[in-house]
Amino acid sequence: MTIRRILIANRGEIAVRVIRTCQRLGVEGVLAASEADLDSMAARLADETICIGPPNSAQSYLNIQAIVAAAAASKAGAIHPGYGFLSENPKLAEACEREGLIFIGPTVEQLYAVGDKLKARAHAAAAGLSGVPGGKVVTLAEAQRLAGEVGWPILIKAVGGGGGRGMKLVQNSTQLALAMEMAAAEAQASFGDPRLYLERYIPHGRHIEVQVLGDGENVIHLGTRDCSIQRRYQKLVEEAPAPNLNDTLRDAMHGAAVAFARHLRFQGLGTVEMLVDCDRETFYFLEMNARIQVEHPVTEAICGIDLVEEQIAIAEGRKLRWKQEQIVFSGHAIECRINAEDWLHEFRPSPGRVTRAVFPVGQGIRVDTHMQAGATVPPFYDSLMGKLIVHGADRQEALQKVRRALARLEIAGVATNLPMHVELMDNDEFARGAVNTGFLERFLENGNRAVV
Amino acid sequence: MAEIQLIDVSIRDGNQSLWGAMGFTTAQILEIAPVMDRVGFRALDFSSSTRMGIAVRSHKENPWEVIRLTRAAMPNTMLQFIGTGLRFISWELQHPDFLQLVYDRLVASGMSRFVVLDPMHDAEALLESARMLKKAGAAEVIAALTYTISDIHDDVFYANFAARVSSSPHIDRAYVKDPSGLLTPDRARTLIPAVRAQLGEKPLELHSHCTIGLSALSYLAAAELGVSALHVACGPLANGSSLPNAQRVAANLCELGHTVSIDDRALAIVADYFARLADAENLPAGTPQDYDPSFLRHQVAGGVMTTTRRQLAELGLEDKFPDVMREVVQVRAELGFPIMVTPFPQIVCTQALYNIIGDERYGNVSDQLIRYVLGKFGRPTVPVDANIKDRILSRPRAKELAGELPPMPPEELRKKFKPGISDDEFLLRATMPAEEVDAMLAAGPAQRHYNPDLQPVLKLLRELQKRPAASDIVVEKPGFRLELHSSSEREPVNV
Amino acid sequence: MKFTNEDVQEILQLVDATKFDELHIETENFKLTLRRNRGSRDWSQESQVLSPPSLLKPSPGPILTGRSASAVGADPSILSRKGFTEVRAHLPGTFYRAPKPGAAPFVEIGSRVDAESVVAIIETMKLMNAVYANARGEIAEICIQNAQFVEKDAVLMRIRPGAA
Repeated sequence: MTIRRILIANRGEIAVRVIRTCQRLGVEGVLAASEADLDSMAARLADETICIGPPNSAQSYLNIQAIVAAAAASKAGAIHPGYGFLSENPKLAEACEREGLIFIGPTVEQLYAVGDKLKARAHAAAAGLSGVPGGKVVTLAEAQRLAGEVGWPILIKAVGGGGGRGMKLVQNSTQLALAMEMAAAEAQASFGDPRLYLERYIPHGRHIEVQVLGDGENVIHLGTRDCSIQRRYQKLVEEAPAPNLNDTLRDAMHGAAVAFARHLRFQGLGTVEMLVDCDRETFYFLEMNARIQVEHPVTEAICGIDLVEEQIAIAEGRKLRWKQEQIVFSGHAIECRINAEDWLHEFRPSPGRVTRAVFPVGQGIRVDTHMQAGATVPPFYDSLMGKLIVHGADRQEALQKVRRALARLEIAGVATNLPMHVELMDNDEFARGAVNTGFLERFLENGNRAVV
Repeated sequence: MAEIQLIDVSIRDGNQSLWGAMGFTTAQILEIAPVMDRVGFRALDFSSSTRMGIAVRSHKENPWEVIRLTRAAMPNTMLQFIGTGLRFISWELQHPDFLQLVYDRLVASGMSRFVVLDPMHDAEALLESARMLKKAGAAEVIAALTYTISDIHDDVFYANFAARVSSSPHIDRAYVKDPSGLLTPDRARTLIPAVRAQLGEKPLELHSHCTIGLSALSYLAAAELGVSALHVACGPLANGSSLPNAQRVAANLCELGHTVSIDDRALAIVADYFARLADAENLPAGTPQDYDPSFLRHQVAGGVMTTTRRQLAELGLEDKFPDVMREVVQVRAELGFPIMVTPFPQIVCTQALYNIIGDERYGNVSDQLIRYVLGKFGRPTVPVDANIKDRILSRPRAKELAGELPPMPPEELRKKFKPGISDDEFLLRATMPAEEVDAMLAAGPAQRHYNPDLQPVLKLLRELQKRPAASDIVVEKPGFRLELHSSSEREPVNV
Repeated sequence: MKFTNEDVQEILQLVDATKFDELHIETENFKLTLRRNRGSRDWSQESQVLSPPSLLKPSPGPILTGRSASAVGADPSILSRKGFTEVRAHLPGTFYRAPKPGAAPFVEIGSRVDAESVVAIIETMKLMNAVYANARGEIAEICIQNAQFVEKDAVLMRIRPGAA
């Protein structure tokens, strides 16, 4: 079965990204856009654009009925959900099944399996991976006891959450009750599911993930990504492969990710996120993301594969076109997420109209963006304006390249976190590599910028 | 009614027929490969010995790499190689072990479908090649029944040949190959059933050039007669002396109630790409041809005619072209009616050319012709005219060539070259001049990106690199504007 | 002509070897500027995709209609209210609110109608076709302006159901 027309149910830079692959493959791309995005770059590039509702996400990008109706009206045979929004929502996948549409992503069962963070932990255990010590908690007493077992401080997380949202750091048992109440309320509001679990907090951890690709039978991995540079669990800089990782640990992580995906008979593109405990030189399973991720370009840079193309092929029922031994990694890639936010003022979002957008260009430089002069950053969605990805023969070359590239990047009309990236890429600790998840906070504090 | 598959020949036979076999570069192929993979073609006629030589010689690109990269970019469509089982790239005949190595490497690089062609319809030779291909791991081997018009090439001849080849386990299917487009719908209605009756379960395909406009109708007749696949070409690479247009064939088949499972939008994108490429590279588009019965006499295939005409033009003798075409008929008869498929059109046409421009007929003969008469290309279907044969074999050169050593086995041949080179490199060095292989290797990896619409801009920039120009340039056309500026503070470029 | 990143890289490689510092390409659909600063080897790009979006009609149904609503002249802020009956065009053509030019319109906002009431005319290929309310209630909304062309299934009016 061949997909001839895809409804892209997303926006911003990822919509542009998916459309580019559709054009390269000769597949028609129809953009499902809210009223705020009807004249976006993605809309200008798509073969056709169909409005799915007002700017408010709940009525557009999170509106399953509107999206499925748009697919029918535009005679699309498949839906690409991008990332965020409904990309991991089993109800969208179920609706697609009912309507005879292909959901470009894993199966409904797989979405349920990894969407519920506790179920995911259980699957991971079954596949031989350890999660961060912790578990489900319902009552305060349970939480106190479990926290005592795993050791303070702890992180409270939402079972139905993900992507770093709805997490609370609790230093000691006196803060636990309030933290649990707030976490439950936030989880209910954000994900419609107030359930919580807790995990040991790993202070010197590295967030390293492994990209996997499965066709329902075979699974291969496409290497690691280090995403430890995060602010409030939102990634800002990613690199591939994870630097300064000993080979045994790296191989073990590759193997664990593949084992997990195989255990699920995973069909699609996915990422197994892990936390490396630098002190203990071990790693824990965190969660699996069953969708394409923002930072996928760094993996594409080191293995030369178009991941959106692979998503489409797998959704068409094709088998993986490579065996593990055919995957060759080359060089090193770094990605900087350029956000419309003012890092000097608590990272306040800065929506508005872009008056000028200048990007670096050259060998080993890639910019994924939906920004151009005249484009708007609407206030209704996240602040991601674009991603700068550089690739070099090794990390040194990539670092030199990214510094020069950032110097040629100019966006006028809205505030951006570009100056922060410039400083980050110049930072000695970052240059040495293998920073942990506490790094960005320290960096921001040291710079006397408004922290966190 | 019937489910018909399409085989697309744009990249090889189409290019060879219409564009003087300039061949596509790696970039030109890779750009459209992902879309071609989605059309739903059963296979692409992709490469041949000749085509691989062109990659090295004209493009300085590694032909093995072209195959590998294309295979990676289009994993769902078979790539086809066509060969006569006698030679590889050079005109020399090769040792069977050498050819086995060629087949092994082709399969390893990603070729899955192979056409075996014996221009003399020597079934034994053909089946031996098929056996070697299967040994190499070929997924599909197709026997060619090369169509021609002569007293001996009747339906019984082809049916017997079909019976002979289909009895082998190494042959998966067969096709009627009509390089000069001579097959009429009427003849198709007797020939195809006769051949199919002998093929049993093995499918039959049809490949007929549009040289005199017959294929459109013979294809439709074939579809009614149980042919499973038809060979076509896309956009400007169709018609003329190439194959019928894929979009037109698909539409016609559907009109008659047959099923063709292709993505017509993807196909339109492919056709459009080749059209824009033709525009960018100043290449002519194939056009539907008028019926010309004289063709049924000389039967020279399109590409060879184009080349012959060009050679005459280079000598300032283009007005002799009709004479040469008449002479071709004569020479072909004298040589025992070889089927006019590579290398025979070349041998016959070259001799016709020599006969016309020389002082006497057969005063000058090529080495290829001598080898042909010596029987090195196999047994002609009908013996060579005795007088001509004597004349040719009494030449001193004939004695030299008769004494030519048989082809060396690869182990021996390898000793002529540096030890430790890969099989791929060895196979090229053994069949091509060293300078050409060296130049290819020195050129490095091939470009992988090609946008036909961008070519005029790139051409302009290349010109500007070579020649100094004003500090400001503006080029303006309807819908297009290009400006180039240099800041005056820069050092001026020395002329 | 569509420009991809690879196209830009190809152009860049060539212009880099010339003495030019700025290249500017403009087509109907795309604008590209490549620039290098004096003394630098590095280039930057500014580009704009200019092609206008091709907007499809959204599907008919209780979905919120946006700016790309099928009906010309529809007010995008009017939401399809649950429970209102839609009067749709049963064929494409020109929508007329009155039986002939100068005559009073068949209905206005607030007019009471029942199933047999004619509420409009659609003229297709010189033939006039009556549009019936097919519902009992009150005209709540008239979505199309007089003499506008409508597609088949376009929402022409909405009726708030209720007894006459």
